[in-house]
Amino acid sequence: MQQTETAQAYVKNIWDSVKTTLVGMKITWRYMLQKPITVQYPDERMPIPDRYRGIHYLEQEKCINCLACARACPIDCIEMEAVRHGKELEWISFTLDYQKCMFCELCVYPCPKDCIHMGTEYAFVTFDRSEFKHDLLSFKGMAREARIRMKEAEVAKAAKEAAKAAKAAAKGGAAAAEEDKDGE
Amino acid sequence: MTPALALVQAAAPVEVGSGSNAFLEGLVAALGAYLPMWALWMGAAVTGVAIVMGLISLIAMFSVWLERKVAGHIQCRYGPMYVGWHGWLQSIADGVKLLLKEDMIPRDADRMLFMLAPALVLAAIVAAMAAYPLAPGVFFADIDLGVFFVIAMSSMTTIGVVMAGWASNSKWTVFGAMREAAQVVAYEIPLGVALLVPVMVAGTLNLREASDLQSDWYGMGWFMFKNPFMLPAFVLYFIAALAETKRAPFDLPEAESELVAGFMTEYSGIRWSFFFMEEYAAMFLMSALAAVFFLGGFESPLTWAAGEFFGRELFVAGANGATELNLQAIPYHAVAGITLLLKTFAGIFLMMWLRWTLPRVRVDQVMTMGYKYLTPLALVCALGAALWEAGKQALLG
Repeated sequence: MQQTETAQAYVKNIWDSVKTTLVGMKITWRYMLQKPITVQYPDERMPIPDRYRGIHYLEQEKCINCLACARACPIDCIEMEAVRHGKELEWISFTLDYQKCMFCELCVYPCPKDCIHMGTEYAFVTFDRSEFKHDLLSFKGMAREARIRMKEAEVAKAAKEAAKAAKAAAKGGAAAAEEDKDGE
Repeated sequence: MTPALALVQAAAPVEVGSGSNAFLEGLVAALGAYLPMWALWMGAAVTGVAIVMGLISLIAMFSVWLERKVAGHIQCRYGPMYVGWHGWLQSIADGVKLLLKEDMIPRDADRMLFMLAPALVLAAIVAAMAAYPLAPGVFFADIDLGVFFVIAMSSMTTIGVVMAGWASNSKWTVFGAMREAAQVVAYEIPLGVALLVPVMVAGTLNLREASDLQSDWYGMGWFMFKNPFMLPAFVLYFIAALAETKRAPFDLPEAESELVAGFMTEYSGIRWSFFFMEEYAAMFLMSALAAVFFLGGFESPLTWAAGEFFGRELFVAGANGATELNLQAIPYHAVAGITLLLKTFAGIFLMMWLRWTLPRVRVDQVMTMGYKYLTPLALVCALGAALWEAGKQALLG
């Protein structure tokens, strides 16, 4: 009795190992033929959601130096300095310390002029800590790069959509032509 | 005489009568007046080894790239993409990097053995590679004991691996070497017995002759289809070959998660890359044996058609009795060589596919599989195939 069971287990082991291997190979084969889900990072980037909270983006010409954002900041990482000449503002600095910032977006809501926004730039590496304290003014440093990237992304998106539309139109035209032929 | 022609003549098949030493004889005749005999022989030997080494490097480079691409796509990513089209030059970049790396030898290592081990491993695989036939009429060495030679030489690499593991003077490397030795001892038996099945059907150990025997049925007379025991034998051979070449799921000698890199933990730079080249060359050879003895070798309908159309003899008797190169037969030989290469790389691809599918098995599972499953099954296959062939001969005469 014992022996027959062992023999059965032996055959079953062989059967199971062959079968499970084939099942696994089928799965990996399917994955191999599908399109990779990764992107070639520095060249391409994954689409970023609209409400993504990245490095801030300041519309300097709208800002009135009211300090509402600095007061709202729970960790006091926003500092700004400007001199008023009548109605004109002369900006000296508007710094944000990204070593402290936790990207909570609380600085955005109280702004009376709606001039500080959370941007889409997230890649942000330096060799020196002091560089994390950076100026949002006049397209300086990272802010400038972030703005350029945003513009590029917008242009690329628009171009892509235009191409898609053109293709769809061409296709639609061709289909329409086909239909016309059929009609004739 | 152009070098290519000299190479072809060097590899002239035995039946032409020139033997495999035609190149050497030609060289001796041409240069004998200027150089001493030993220099000529040394030169010829170095040339031969250089050609085989070049072939091995090319195979290893292509296989590494293929492996990385296969691994990438199975894991839904791209793999190398930047160096050349889809990263096809990646291996060259890696090779340059390896050449430039510091060559380190641990202080407490056995220096001589440590330096000798990669050389021994590579030398063994170069020797084994000499038996690979490039085309029906073009090969490095036409060995009557071909299979035996290849298996013996690829087992030699184990000695190098054990040597490397011991000489490194590290726990990880010694464990890797021990596992390698145990694994190879366990899997040599099913490997040899499973290969015995097609050898029995063919009645020859010579790779080229075995391939010729499969040219019937319009190029589809593969041994695989000629005997019902051949398919299980092929599966058994392939599993044993995986273990023999230290490939996943049997990559215990270099199990990354347990032993860092197993027996090659202490190696760096070009010495390390020798082990790497050996692994890919061994994969190539094992796949080549599978292709020749199970999957029809050079033969396919296309090869058969090319043979019928262009003629098969690469060397024919000329006007005044001298052997001449038959240029018309070159397309046939090219098609045949490419067919074998494709079949071999199909085997390599299967090995890679399995590697990225199966998890690594445990040490005791490896031993159980080798001794309790593969060996008896291989013996059953060999016995069955022998009885089948005997019965066929008794019935059909």
